[in-house]
Amino acid sequence: MLKVENLSAAYGQVQVLWDVSLEVHQGEIVALIGSNGAGKSTLLSTISGLMKPRAGALTFDGRDITGAPTDQIARSGIAHVPQGRHLFAGLTVKENLLMGAYTRRDGPHVQKDLAWVLDLFPSLQRRLAMPAGRLSGGEQQMCAVGRGLMARPKLLMIDEFSLGLAPIVVEQLVETIQTINQEGLTLLIVEQDVQVALEHAHRGYVLETGHIVLSGDAQSLLDNEHVRGAYLGV
Amino acid sequence: MTRRNRIVSVIVAVALAALVLFPFLDVFSGALVRTVTVVVMAAATAQAWNLIGGYTGYPAFGNVAFFGVGGYAVAILMSKLHVDFIPAVLAGGLVAALYATLLGLPILRLKGHYFSIATLGVAEATREVVSNWTALTGGGSGITLPISPDIPPIFNRAMYFSMLAVFVGSVILTYGVTRSKLGYGLIAIREDEDAARSLGINTTRFKVTAFALSALVTGLAGGVYAYWNSQLIPEDAFSLDITLRAILISIIGGPGTLFGPALGAVAFEFMRNYLWDNFPGLQFTFLGLVMVLVIIFMPKGVMEFLTGRRRFTASALLQYVRQNRVS
Repeated sequence: MLKVENLSAAYGQVQVLWDVSLEVHQGEIVALIGSNGAGKSTLLSTISGLMKPRAGALTFDGRDITGAPTDQIARSGIAHVPQGRHLFAGLTVKENLLMGAYTRRDGPHVQKDLAWVLDLFPSLQRRLAMPAGRLSGGEQQMCAVGRGLMARPKLLMIDEFSLGLAPIVVEQLVETIQTINQEGLTLLIVEQDVQVALEHAHRGYVLETGHIVLSGDAQSLLDNEHVRGAYLGV
Repeated sequence: MTRRNRIVSVIVAVALAALVLFPFLDVFSGALVRTVTVVVMAAATAQAWNLIGGYTGYPAFGNVAFFGVGGYAVAILMSKLHVDFIPAVLAGGLVAALYATLLGLPILRLKGHYFSIATLGVAEATREVVSNWTALTGGGSGITLPISPDIPPIFNRAMYFSMLAVFVGSVILTYGVTRSKLGYGLIAIREDEDAARSLGINTTRFKVTAFALSALVTGLAGGVYAYWNSQLIPEDAFSLDITLRAILISIIGGPGTLFGPALGAVAFEFMRNYLWDNFPGLQFTFLGLVMVLVIIFMPKGVMEFLTGRRRFTASALLQYVRQNRVS
């Protein structure tokens, strides 16, 4: 579904991604793991078009999206829940969620999807009229994921999914993610908690200083010596 | 209709009726008509600034360029091509909007202070071009527009109603924008431009549209001003004062609100007249002081201050200040 081939990206003179290749197949949850500064967020931003690649190719759904403008990539079916959530702080939760459906033209379905998202994240129900900036961290993440879902994307990318959240909230979010995956949504998730990520993903990629150093199905990565040593501390 | 909407409708209807009827009452002198024309013009330019500065969050500091371009378009069309007033003003607005579109494509890539400085520079550059393009604009000595056949009181009233039409049009335009997807897109850009892009919003197109609409209204106001003034020189048409007043009024009234600029214009012009009459020489000092106080204690403007759910008691007032002041 998503194919990243030999991608390189840089901030000015500083190259962050080197020759990165990865694939996400229809219906999968793919985890992207690696330490701080490895380039995980940069990779997601390059896929969603917020950053332009230096070299390499991006293909989504059989179409070349290399270097396409962000809004076009979004409309082609990739939703990006960025690190730090990037909610519209001054707008209400409901407005934030509806903004997710901004480019959709199927009005009645949007209302149905709003009900669906509130079903997935019941705690947002009571907060609908509240400015998103006043939500708790967990609720903000739910709102951000919900906003991503409102676009009815084919692929949902979530960056630093559990950062700064209480373990119980993480667990709840993970469950929700699995539910929506079972409903058919493909996910690419950046997660610093490697254990959580690999336990729930189908496959994983390990990114170190801008290079993909390991990949494979989630269980084999969990058993991998290097992963255990570097990320799991065992 | 909610109770609040009913109240707002009544206030707007009464204010509009007063604005339409007062020039016909003899008790008011012609001077008042002129004064109110200035207030309405300021409100229109502030409403225009509100679209790009308030809703979209792009602090434009060069809107006077559109005022001047609109004004000069009218002056040239009327004096050289003998176009009638109304079509000339409409054309002036369109020329300003077109100018903003061409400018916006490059400079709306900048953000924050960089954008402000760029717009400021563009306005100054526009004035220089107009000042030196003597064949078309008359250079530093400006253009004299055809004199209206009407006697001054009738003419002033006609100009007042023209300016009022521009202002009312700007409010209707803003209302339409805020009710449309465009409006939500603009607010999304203000709140978080990257997020807006990630949601599929073509931010460049939206920003340019907001800038062009802002220029359209500013250009219309400039066009009416040109004919009203009957003489247009670069110093007046491109005076930084026009930009600053639009910004200050918008901030006092409440940026990103529908009626903020109107309220702000009344408050600002009243304050200005009062200070000018009573503290000659110190007026700018006091104006600055008032602006600082407004920004510290009512950063969201008079509009938010008045419409928030608040009891008008000393303790409620203090609480508002504590919640909203800039720390």
